[in-house]
Amino acid sequence: MGFWDKIAAIDRRWIYLLCAIAVVIPFIVPVSLPVYTTPETQQVYDTIEALPDSSVVMLTYDYYPSTLAETEPMSRAALHHLFSKDIKVVTISNIPLGGPTIAERVTRDMAARYDKEYGVDYVNLGYKANYVAVMKGMGTAITNIFPTDNSGTRLSELPLMQDVKNYEDIDFIFIVADNATADYWVAIVNSQYGVPMCCGATAVMAPKMYAMVGSGQLQGLLGGMKGAAEYEQLVGHPDRALRGMDAQSLIHLLIIALVILGNVGYFLGGRQRREMGQL
Amino acid sequence: MTTYSVFELWIMAFVTLAIFSFLYKDNPVYRLVESIFAGLSAGYYVGLVWDTVILQQVVTPIETDGEWWLLLPAVLGFLLFSRLTRKYSWMSRVPLAFVIGATSGIYLTSQLQGLVLPQIRTTFLAQPVPGGSTDPGMMIALSSIVVIGVISTLIYFYFSHEHKGALGVTAKVGIWFIMISFGAHFGYTVMARVSLLIGRVQFLVEDWIGAMTGG
Repeated sequence: MGFWDKIAAIDRRWIYLLCAIAVVIPFIVPVSLPVYTTPETQQVYDTIEALPDSSVVMLTYDYYPSTLAETEPMSRAALHHLFSKDIKVVTISNIPLGGPTIAERVTRDMAARYDKEYGVDYVNLGYKANYVAVMKGMGTAITNIFPTDNSGTRLSELPLMQDVKNYEDIDFIFIVADNATADYWVAIVNSQYGVPMCCGATAVMAPKMYAMVGSGQLQGLLGGMKGAAEYEQLVGHPDRALRGMDAQSLIHLLIIALVILGNVGYFLGGRQRREMGQL
Repeated sequence: MTTYSVFELWIMAFVTLAIFSFLYKDNPVYRLVESIFAGLSAGYYVGLVWDTVILQQVVTPIETDGEWWLLLPAVLGFLLFSRLTRKYSWMSRVPLAFVIGATSGIYLTSQLQGLVLPQIRTTFLAQPVPGGSTDPGMMIALSSIVVIGVISTLIYFYFSHEHKGALGVTAKVGIWFIMISFGAHFGYTVMARVSLLIGRVQFLVEDWIGAMTGG
């Protein structure tokens, strides 16, 4: 067995161990590599910056707990930006498992930092099943879909919701999603009701969402943890995403090295076998 | 930090490590945690839908506002369960007809109006040049690449004629565009999966070990 065959037959658990080391080390010894802002993230920042004070923004928590590492920093950075500009926030979740709980926890935590009052400065609508029906229904009347907020208080008792009846009263939608709901926000709410929006998406979704930025349907995009880190930097509140970028960079280098090693091994190993008459 | 918070942190750390243990090999602790997750998710989802749909959108409006007409969609929804019996399964066709009709209408218009037409329109518009340059030569070049990419990829998926001659050459160009697209998607997927690992390691190092060491 040649060298390259030994490499090809290596127990995959050694690779897992290498990946684990590459992720852990930057948290113990931070390097703080620079993070450059992409035009799509800058566009998100500029669009929110251009919103007048007291605008109403709908912030979605359309993600499962499994993608928190990418999405929660986006929500937190968005709330930093919105609350610091005194923008009213209506939160909603179209994801049953975790979404409503995350929305409640993150929004209340961020609101407390900016002394925002529930019902006046922000409202959490919570979750309703069937996101397509929810998105369509809110175009007519939000109270048709959400008679109460996430805590069971009737919307008619919340001061902020006196002026927010349907999409006509929403100035902007900030989607944070890890699934197809983002497509439907664009396809239904943007195209049929004309509400401008931007999207914070997981890296898996980002390539598809770029097309919607190009078509002008989205006013910017935060792509994965990198996008979240860029936005944290722009709003001046570096947090978990930015701290995670050292590990991200290191493990990308490791993966590139492994891909090169694997390909070199594949071709050289084949030549070795041919020379040995095994092919 | 309260005793409850510490207990919560330890549970989260235990569950994370139990799931990671599968990377070494399958084991009973991993399977226990996996089963707890599946059971909890199913139970939570049923409870959530019961509360947010049945109670909030049917029972409460009927009780407080006397909106008795809501019984109609509720009964239609209930009829879906008739599929569980052979004798009465035909009754489920009535609500299914509503579901299929409404879904087709909503999806057809939203996909066409919201995704297909805007993307076709954008394909034939001048593409923005990275860096904000307005050099017309560069814009024409980029737009041409997009148009060639879209047309050649569509031709690759045209199977009514054998891919020979000009059709074959164009389909081969399409394959190159598809491969480049796969590469971009794969790169982003790697970044996404790595981010999830980073999130859990960040929790273990910063939150769990950090809390234990007072860091």
